[in-house]
Amino acid sequence: MNNFTSESPLQAADLDASGLRVKIIGVGGAGNNAVDRLKIDQLDQVDLAVVNTDTKTLSVSLISEKVMLGRSITRGLSAGGEAEIGRQAADVDRHLIEQMVNGVDLVFLLAGLGGGTGSGATPLIAEIAEASGALVVAFVTMPFTREGSRRLQQADEALVKLREHCHAVVSLPNDLLLQQIDEQATVMEAFALADEWISKGVRSIWSMLFMQGLINVDFATLKSAFTCRGGKTLFGTAEGEGEHAVADVIRNLDLCPLLHLPENRYLRKADRLIVNITGGTSLTMTQVHEILQHVTDRFGSKEHTVLGAVIDSELGDKLTLTVIGTTDVGTSHKPGKRYAPVPAANAASQAPQPKAKPRQAEPIALDPDAELFETKVEAPELDEHEIDDGPVDPGKQSEFDFPRLEDNRGLFERTEANLYEGEDLDIPTYLRRGIKVAVEVKKG
Amino acid sequence: MSLPRSKIIGAVEMGTSKIVVLVGEVHQGRSLNIIGLGQCTSMGIKKGEIIDMRQASDGVHAALAQAEKQAGAQIEGIYLALSGSHLQGFSNPGVVTVADPDNFVMREDLRRAATNAKGKALPPGRVYIHHVRSGYMLDSREVTDPIGMQGQSLEARYWHVHGDERKVSDALHVINGYGMDVDDVVISSIASGSMVASDAEKQLGVLVLDIGAGTTDYVLYRQGHIIRTGTLAVGGDHMTNDLSLGLRLQNRVAESLKRRAGRAVFTKDDREKAVMAFNDLSIGDRPIPMLSISRILHARCEELLMILKNRLGSQVSPQHLPGGVVLTGAASQLPGLPELAEHVIGVPVRRGSNPDWVVHKELCTPEYSTVLGLLHYGLRNQQRPTAPAETQARKPGLLTMVSQLFK
Repeated sequence: MNNFTSESPLQAADLDASGLRVKIIGVGGAGNNAVDRLKIDQLDQVDLAVVNTDTKTLSVSLISEKVMLGRSITRGLSAGGEAEIGRQAADVDRHLIEQMVNGVDLVFLLAGLGGGTGSGATPLIAEIAEASGALVVAFVTMPFTREGSRRLQQADEALVKLREHCHAVVSLPNDLLLQQIDEQATVMEAFALADEWISKGVRSIWSMLFMQGLINVDFATLKSAFTCRGGKTLFGTAEGEGEHAVADVIRNLDLCPLLHLPENRYLRKADRLIVNITGGTSLTMTQVHEILQHVTDRFGSKEHTVLGAVIDSELGDKLTLTVIGTTDVGTSHKPGKRYAPVPAANAASQAPQPKAKPRQAEPIALDPDAELFETKVEAPELDEHEIDDGPVDPGKQSEFDFPRLEDNRGLFERTEANLYEGEDLDIPTYLRRGIKVAVEVKKG
Repeated sequence: MSLPRSKIIGAVEMGTSKIVVLVGEVHQGRSLNIIGLGQCTSMGIKKGEIIDMRQASDGVHAALAQAEKQAGAQIEGIYLALSGSHLQGFSNPGVVTVADPDNFVMREDLRRAATNAKGKALPPGRVYIHHVRSGYMLDSREVTDPIGMQGQSLEARYWHVHGDERKVSDALHVINGYGMDVDDVVISSIASGSMVASDAEKQLGVLVLDIGAGTTDYVLYRQGHIIRTGTLAVGGDHMTNDLSLGLRLQNRVAESLKRRAGRAVFTKDDREKAVMAFNDLSIGDRPIPMLSISRILHARCEELLMILKNRLGSQVSPQHLPGGVVLTGAASQLPGLPELAEHVIGVPVRRGSNPDWVVHKELCTPEYSTVLGLLHYGLRNQQRPTAPAETQARKPGLLTMVSQLFK
């Protein structure tokens, strides 16, 4: 076990944060780049590791914990775009992966799907990490449609496998990310953008767990929200600044491309929702409330919403909002069966939970929506909720539901894929062709 | 000749955006009088196929009831339009040697050729919907009516349309659920094509594109015959969905934006222009760049037309298609679409309109061409029972149906 190298920032941090161990693992070329980028961002109290089948990429990585997979199969010459080779490479070096994830509570997997190592090894690493009892969250990029149907298919297969073993999978289609950049942007910038989205996602979960909280979300809460595996994950993030920070954040959230993925579009109703708001020292409870109101109205969690509000003194008058939702749609596993409610190792992390409640109670009690703030940690109870498919919503909620169902009648949600020469015609043409479309009118 | 004095027939189109029922009265088997119209917003139908039986049935039944009420009469038989990407076609001619020792073609030869052509077995789960005859070849001469002509080898050319058995029976069950029988089913491209293309165009060669909400149905005519039909599950819904995803709008807003400002081609001044998303001065309204709207729609429409062009291959070239392309269907109303189609396909394109005998103003728009075509088909079907063989032989391109398969 050599997870704690002298360069790792974890040494000092290890004393804090109830001994929670978080590890970010980059798999394959794209994953390695993403982790390298995170290293520059300097997240405290987190281990970083890179996994690859290619010695060359691995040797240039800035990360100290490097795991070489499948030397006996590929001789360190990468998986060559074959997912099967990537999988075999991970399979022969299973023990290395086991060592890497041993004792870790939260594993982030970062990978670019479509290639060999990313598509082949990531699902296996997720499986091993999950078996060792860790909470596994994957952030993966999907290839451009233009890269060809083979890579797409490889990526899709990997995504399905990943969903089986990860507690949450956030997929970022490159097609969509391309929409975000300027026409003059360089290739470097384009890929940096993909990494940026990944780092935004990792950072938001990280800040929830480790930063000074107005309302804390701890690991146990996070875990209880991710009890289901196999479901789709809704992930959105937005920023706002200055006087109209709240309005900006709400508007930007509506514009967040990740909430408009063709596959996620109809998951507007999350069954479990985590809302994290990060703001400067001037963050007020009213602001938090206003944002939360909007988010719950929009994504209306049936079972529960977990709220986190974090203070970052460096942010000034900036606000960032992250919404993570999980649904039971397509889940094959019922929660609680293979998953201990709260592992003994993390018993300490439960402690802060009760203190969060009195804090929220005062400003919110006046509000009719107060029940939305409810934070539930009792994982065992979840089983019941699952069986009776969630309590019937109070009248108000269902009134809201109706017009919304009409709106997103799920245009092509329940239909067969519309394939023509390997492309799904139901996916917007402009996305498949990489045509850049501006969402907003440019100011000035 | 014992024709009933008059018969009330209904034409039903279960579209992706709306369900239309038209009621017509056939007098003496000769004239058609449109006496009722029922419409209902469609639910449970996507890309031309039923995905929710219950919702689809409710809509169709409501529309049927409304149409019957307006007509003040009960529908006696229903003609149903079919669409959806499960409909496929292939051409399989029937070739026979002329039996007569003097090589004169007899009716019996035509019958044998037809049986021969229709004999091809389909894979399990598929069912024939139409056998559309597209002319005869007599010793490599193209002839319309070979009876009495001299020749050795007779080839009856057919375009066979088949569909998924379950999906077809789903559609029939929706009608049966209202307590009615389906007299006949017709694929929507043939129904609408018969309305919007003129006889002269059909003779020259014309392609009719019916761009609906969920599907694009096409039919290709040459020398008065239908020689190709097809369905592509891309339509107006896709345009709306693209806008909604690309501009982060709700479907409802995207749909109204498409109708208000949508265009299939973009122009220079689009760069500066912007359109309000809701356009009702409400809170949360925001300007949308016109260029983005045009780009998204342009990409979708261009792709749709390219796919159609590729599918039809060499059939769509100026020399094969002097009649050009006729656009119909609700989504074909998108401004700029004829220009774009002309550019992509390379033949003249016009918007179709329903024939002059449709006197009702509200029925003149292209979205009703399918139901009108159905009624017209029903009218001709009423004329047929007296002497089916004769009518078939004399009317080139008349649709022949194997309705017994659905009983």
